[in-house]
Amino acid sequence: MKLIIGGYAQGKLRYVLSRYNVDTSKVWDGEIPERADEQRGTMVINHFHNWVKSRIVCDGCPEEEIRQFLEKHWDCVIISDEIGNGIVPIEALERECRERTGRILVELAAKAEEVERVICGIGQKIK
Amino acid sequence: MMTLIIGGSGSGKSAYAENYIASLSKGKQKYYIATMQAFDPESQKKVERHKLLRKGKGFCTIEQPADIQKAVEKMETKEKTALLECISNLVANEMFSGEVPETAVTEKIITGISVLKKELAHLVIVSNKLFEDGQVYDKTTMEYIEAMGRINEKLAALADEVVEVVVGIPVVVKNRLIN
Repeated sequence: MKLIIGGYAQGKLRYVLSRYNVDTSKVWDGEIPERADEQRGTMVINHFHNWVKSRIVCDGCPEEEIRQFLEKHWDCVIISDEIGNGIVPIEALERECRERTGRILVELAAKAEEVERVICGIGQKIK
Repeated sequence: MMTLIIGGSGSGKSAYAENYIASLSKGKQKYYIATMQAFDPESQKKVERHKLLRKGKGFCTIEQPADIQKAVEKMETKEKTALLECISNLVANEMFSGEVPETAVTEKIITGISVLKKELAHLVIVSNKLFEDGQVYDKTTMEYIEAMGRINEKLAALADEVVEVVVGIPVVVKNRLIN
């Protein structure tokens, strides 16, 4: 598993597509494929932070769900926005999403083979 | 020596800062200067989480929500090592207390930190990155963000090293050997 993080509109997906030579049919946007078992090759989960939020909204447990997913499907690239670098949101749900997304990313980064931060389309390998 | 550690919400900056200072002080007594005032259940939960993180690491906690230089008077050890967490709460407390004119807040905080830097053998400071959500807020919040920016800038200039924590990974911004 490789983790790609960076701010909004930094060219993260473009960077991943060119660096890992995967085509767009392998890219999942804000979701994890239900039938992941049928997928072949490297999967790309784009906008991972949106998936985390959607699971929190549905009272799911994204922390546990992503752990289980990775146990079966380690060959993937996870792309997430960095959303923690702003003012504390007024809404409780937004605060919770921000905090939990951050902690999940810390856990993923600890497990990942590689972590890259994309700034202005350029990848900085930080692990 | 002074170290500035910055990071966003949930970036793992506190855990990194605590481990970092533990490696500096090698089991010796160290202080935790807490600036957060817990008025509601959510901040109480945050405080509890941080206490749990610090448990067993040998910290003595000093509550210092304002007048940061006074923390040094509460330290009893000869060689003083402390982790100050965090600047964003300190700035909010000083700005919104109404006791100090807003324009003087930056100077007051930097003067206070300079005292700590002078008196302490090791000072590790945690501050927040809160400049990147692209939002425009009300005047008070914008002034707060600007004060945070200026203070971070000045702290970085005072610091021997600056580290940004990104998803739990330290990224060196200012290196004491190079700069």
